[in-house]
Amino acid sequence: MIFLAIRYLLAKRKQTLFTLMGIFFGSAAFVAISGFFIGFQDYIVDKLVNTSAHIHIQAREDFLEEHSLDSSFFGKNSGYVFWSPPPSGRKDNARVENPQGWYDRLSVDPRVEAYSPQLTASGIFSKAKSSVTASIIGCNPAQQAKVTTIASLMEEGKFTDIAAGGNRLIVGKELMKRLGATVSQTILVSVGTGSPTPFKIVGYFNSGNKNSDLQAYGSLEDVQKLNGTPNTVNEIAVSLKDYKQATNLALLWSKISSEKIESWEQQNSSLFSMFALQDALRYMMIIAILTVAGFGIYNVLTMTVSHKKKDIAILRSMGYSPKEIVYIFLSQGLILGVSGAILGMLFGYLICLYLQTLQFAGAPGSATTEQMHISLAFSIFAQSSMLAIFSSTIASIIPALAAGRLSPIEIIREGAE
Amino acid sequence: MGITAHKIWKTLGDPPLKIIKGISLTINDGEFVSITGRSGAGKSTLLYLLSSLDTPSEGDIEISGYSLKKMKDKDLFRFRTEKMGFVFQFHYLISELTALENVLLPAMKNKQQMKVRGRAEMLLEKFGLADKMGRLPRQLSGGEQQRVAIARALSMNPAYLFADEPTGALDSINGEMVMKIIKDASRESKTTVVMVTHDSDYALLADRQIHLTDGEIASQ
Repeated sequence: MIFLAIRYLLAKRKQTLFTLMGIFFGSAAFVAISGFFIGFQDYIVDKLVNTSAHIHIQAREDFLEEHSLDSSFFGKNSGYVFWSPPPSGRKDNARVENPQGWYDRLSVDPRVEAYSPQLTASGIFSKAKSSVTASIIGCNPAQQAKVTTIASLMEEGKFTDIAAGGNRLIVGKELMKRLGATVSQTILVSVGTGSPTPFKIVGYFNSGNKNSDLQAYGSLEDVQKLNGTPNTVNEIAVSLKDYKQATNLALLWSKISSEKIESWEQQNSSLFSMFALQDALRYMMIIAILTVAGFGIYNVLTMTVSHKKKDIAILRSMGYSPKEIVYIFLSQGLILGVSGAILGMLFGYLICLYLQTLQFAGAPGSATTEQMHISLAFSIFAQSSMLAIFSSTIASIIPALAAGRLSPIEIIREGAE
Repeated sequence: MGITAHKIWKTLGDPPLKIIKGISLTINDGEFVSITGRSGAGKSTLLYLLSSLDTPSEGDIEISGYSLKKMKDKDLFRFRTEKMGFVFQFHYLISELTALENVLLPAMKNKQQMKVRGRAEMLLEKFGLADKMGRLPRQLSGGEQQRVAIARALSMNPAYLFADEPTGALDSINGEMVMKIIKDASRESKTTVVMVTHDSDYALLADRQIHLTDGEIASQ
């Protein structure tokens, strides 16, 4: 019966070709555009996952509400207190409460790959007459290197050079440029009302991102001392064995602690909203193309059924069942759908291979160029073929069922009249 | 066992019009029966009822001992493929297939085309179409097309051949050629043939003539 379906299609070559082109372009466009967008999304996610921690445990963040201070001022049974004006503002904690408790928990959790306690402070960096406001991050470099890629971004010096303490700094390239400093030179760093403390630059890193490159790293003890907060951390960066568990774990940990805990996905939620929008546009476009192609198949098959009534009558007289008649016409739609999808996916794949060879400029301010990141994930091809086959099946089922319902005897009587 | 009709009626349209009025008849195995009558007498309707293409409004038909009323659709479709052949006034060849492929169409249903190919070629050769097997229907004359249609009907070596005005669209030379083929099929293969015809001369070639008048058997 497939044989007959193919012959019917070959008999109307021009119509068949035009209908095939619809499915072909739909599938090719889906593969190429999906490859581009998903490749871009994977690239961004890869950057986020690999360059920063998966979960950030930070000092708690509280907001004052109208009755937050009632009991503090008037006792527990104060009744209803009217404030004019009501209290407002934040009452953030400047540190993670009980960090040792977190270290104990994280070090035995099998889902945790590594963690790194940090103390981040905003400081004024100065050298001669130049002064720049930037962040200074105190950390244990060995632990920090396990949760971020900072060690691999070093252009001069080693990240572990700050481990020995003694007021050593690793600075970002942008910060070093703005200070007009070089490696081995000493700069002054002051935090809050503290007096300027000399730090020696022992190396610098370049991430390609200006904001990240406007930071400096020192040993945790040095920064704690600089900040006047010994044994204090305000963030614990955690990397997981499976980064996809980050949001679930962050939500779970939030329930059992008062700290502000966010996953990398929560911190970049606006980015994921943009990805969702991209995905929606991608699907809308393919659905629009395949709907047009589906109408093409519907028209071709409706015309074929109308022109092939006598064939249907003679096939039924030979013992072909209504189901087999449906199959003959349905398979024409499926042949168009499957072959259009295969050819389209192949063409889309070739486009993807070509796009992969193109270069694009790296991050703003970065002199590097990178190759396009195009996804060739199996799921793209699976979705493309499913959408093409689904649309062609839906488009061909109505005319095919109509063919199966035709009465042979009525067709023969019509023919005799 | 042949074909037996038990008081069959066929009513069509609204208001209902009685086309076949309580006909009972028996056609024996290997018998060649012609059905004649004026236009509107119900000849073709009777043929379609006897061949299972149409269903009677009342009454029942038995073919080879099987009641068509009781037969399951699946069994009926298989019975048609394996035991019945049809020839119509118009050839109804599939225009996209060659003459040989058209003849093999019934066999293709059961994927027996390889097995039946030899017989199909033999029939086409016998009907003078040995050099035209690969031609499309539009490349054949009217007589040749009808001979291909008869070869298709006989390709599965059916027990029953139903022919509705098989010479109706042919000139006298081609008509005689077609009648000779049908007569030979009846005589050589012992195929039971039921043929509707307007032509009294062709009707006389049959073993028995059934004459219909106004939906009833006038003579046989």
